[in-house]
Amino acid sequence: MMKDLGRLRNAAVLGLATLAAGVSAFVVTEARAEYPERPITLVIAYGPGGATDISGRTLSVPLGKIIPQPVLVVNRAGAGGATGAVSVRDAAADGYTMMVSRVGTHTVNPAMKATLPYKLEEFDEVGVYEINPVACAVKADSDIKSMDDLIAKIKAAPKTVSYSSSGVGSLLHIAGAMAAREFGVENPVEELIHIPLKGGGAAATAVLAGTATFICTNSSALASFVANKQLRPLMVTTKEPVPGFDAPTAADLGKPNLHQLVGWSGIGAPKGLPAEVKEKWRGWMKEATSDKEFLDAMGKRGSVIQLMSPEESADFIQKQYNVFKKLVDDLGMRIEG
Amino acid sequence: MSFFDNLTSAFHLVANLESFLALAGGILIGVIAGAIPGMSATMAVALTLPFTFAMQPITGILLLLGVYKGGIFGGSIPAILIKTPGTPASSATILDGYPMAENGQAGKALGMALYASCTADLISNLSLILFAGWLASFALSFGPPEFFTLILFSLTIIAGVSGDSLIKGLLAAVFGLLLATVGLDLVYGTNRFNFNNANLMGGLNFIAVLIGLFAIPEILAYVWRPKSDTEQVRALGEQHVTFAEYRRCFRTIIRGSFIGVFLGSIPGIGAAPAAFLSYSEARRRSPNKKNFGKGEIEGVAASEAGNNGVAGATLIPLLALGVPGDVITAIIIGAFMVHGLQPGPMMFVANANIIYALFLGLIISSVLLFFIGGFAIKMFRYIADVPTSVLMPGVLILCVYGVYAVNNNVFDIIVMFAMGWLGYFMLRNDIPAAPFLIAFILGPLLEDNFRQAMLMSNGSAHILFRSWITWFFWGATMLTIAALIKTGLSARSDAAEALHATSRE
Repeated sequence: MMKDLGRLRNAAVLGLATLAAGVSAFVVTEARAEYPERPITLVIAYGPGGATDISGRTLSVPLGKIIPQPVLVVNRAGAGGATGAVSVRDAAADGYTMMVSRVGTHTVNPAMKATLPYKLEEFDEVGVYEINPVACAVKADSDIKSMDDLIAKIKAAPKTVSYSSSGVGSLLHIAGAMAAREFGVENPVEELIHIPLKGGGAAATAVLAGTATFICTNSSALASFVANKQLRPLMVTTKEPVPGFDAPTAADLGKPNLHQLVGWSGIGAPKGLPAEVKEKWRGWMKEATSDKEFLDAMGKRGSVIQLMSPEESADFIQKQYNVFKKLVDDLGMRIEG
Repeated sequence: MSFFDNLTSAFHLVANLESFLALAGGILIGVIAGAIPGMSATMAVALTLPFTFAMQPITGILLLLGVYKGGIFGGSIPAILIKTPGTPASSATILDGYPMAENGQAGKALGMALYASCTADLISNLSLILFAGWLASFALSFGPPEFFTLILFSLTIIAGVSGDSLIKGLLAAVFGLLLATVGLDLVYGTNRFNFNNANLMGGLNFIAVLIGLFAIPEILAYVWRPKSDTEQVRALGEQHVTFAEYRRCFRTIIRGSFIGVFLGSIPGIGAAPAAFLSYSEARRRSPNKKNFGKGEIEGVAASEAGNNGVAGATLIPLLALGVPGDVITAIIIGAFMVHGLQPGPMMFVANANIIYALFLGLIISSVLLFFIGGFAIKMFRYIADVPTSVLMPGVLILCVYGVYAVNNNVFDIIVMFAMGWLGYFMLRNDIPAAPFLIAFILGPLLEDNFRQAMLMSNGSAHILFRSWITWFFWGATMLTIAALIKTGLSARSDAAEALHATSRE
């Protein structure tokens, strides 16, 4: 009996010692803790296979080699990116929950939706790394050959010309209206028909099938149709021409305001990200975006890789947000309720 | 390059170890991923994509296609064994597959699923090779009005899967339509039934609803009354499908395959409606009509032929037009573009050898699917042997993990359990779950296409009669409804006569 008790005591002492050692080890690592000490979750607020998903996953390949901890890419899709964005906003701003910020979640949605459950100010930006030029296009056999033809047609018979989008409150929704307005259509909401579809692929197909007259979207979504001469590009919104698109730039057409109309992806985080975490990410992003395979894969999809510093990114996003918000206010496109 | 030059160069592209390994590996990954509830074929393809960047274009694309095809077949395994569809496409397989497993015929059901899948896969691939151009132009003549009429016709399936009471079936369908409206309005972007909850803004997760509706009620029912007789180990079902059975189902398989090919070549429909349409057609024409839903092997054959018929055909719009037919082919387009290939009509000119290599690879994939699928069945079939008291908790854990994995969102698990209780209530009251599910799948398509059509025409209903396709489906819908009313009336007069006869006695 005594022997048993003794053994028990010994075990208890041993257990306590182990526990103490464990605690002290924990304290020590805590003091030396250097970000990152556990895996980082990278949230993609859109479904697998979409532009954001492919961009984020392609970036996570070089990032995974550089960052000493694993990067877990998770899709949290729904409600045009709102579900995923809200989940990131509600996470701790400790650098372990990051997201692929995108034109849709960060500028178009906040500018258009009155009841959006989050605000642009609730996020920090680590760096915008990708710009997608926007192009407007019609079906190849259409009698519309230029933006001027398109505008003339809209003005001649209002409410007959339509454009397709990937849904209400998408970049495509705002892009069609903004392009028409810059070219002199006073009230595109009244004079154009907007046909929302489910997803960017369906939107491009709608123009191909004749359901809609034109589309303004990321050039990468149209590249193969243009190369196959199924769609005819009318304009690209960048300053420089886009390879493969035989169409004037917005600069050529004298519409510099349209340069703001581009898609982009970046890495975002909940507001209040510590400065050293931001600094770390800046270094990682610099290295990852100069990775040759990454540049190759992204370039072939028609995106322009251009890493901005956190300040430049915040500035760029705010500027685009302001342009979109003013347009939405002027045209009464705000989505209420 | 001439046709034969292209073919020889295609042979060189495919006839190497790498391509075969890529295809076989892809199919294996797909079957396993498809067999895990919540891990859909889409996710498996998306997760495989980054690994293909470093490969040769043809090897990478064959790997992805392998995952796709394997995934669609793999979904049927848990549908039959544990009443949990591995992918949405296999939800129709539950209707007869699970009752067969309950009757101790799991092996037979799985075998028929494999034979039907492989036959449909082959037909689908051959259709792609032979009729791609024709079907693609047909697909492009489908605008919102044509879609609307097609979906309207498809809703008549509900009558076929309602079981004994059409009223109960319609009740379930209406409820499915109602729950499908949760989320954001398509045209105005406004909130519908989401009670200011950000999680509900995206609507109810499809997989959570699916698993909740089918798998959870079984578990609840078992918890409620763990009968001693259910504790019995179900027979392994060593029986194989006999040639006579395959021949009996052959017409159904062929019909299902072509339904799959047609619906697959039209962008935006997907495999689940094809499986249901094929199932209801098979039921309508079968002499064993009464046995459908109670473990009819023809039902398993029909739904598996329908969903696998889609797999090759979704490549028709992809290759012929550069249009992705569903999310999976949208991912595969990404793989093409990373390698500098532009799918579409020009590809037949510029990279014809790649196209022919793909065709060859696809034909080989049907054969590989047969062997790898057979192997997988041998491995998975033992699940049927696990005693219920062990199996049920395992299934529950699998369901929770699977549903969480879809969107990494705990809310989806809550949805699954809520739907589970609803499903249990329906089970207890003999309200069939299949009409609910069909309405839940087709409801949003019906609404969206109707509203898009109305936008196109500025609100004029004339657009719903704009082409022969719309007229065809209006006609088909009317005929089906008329036939339903006729059978309903004759059943009623039979009943009345019987009543009359008994009262006279």
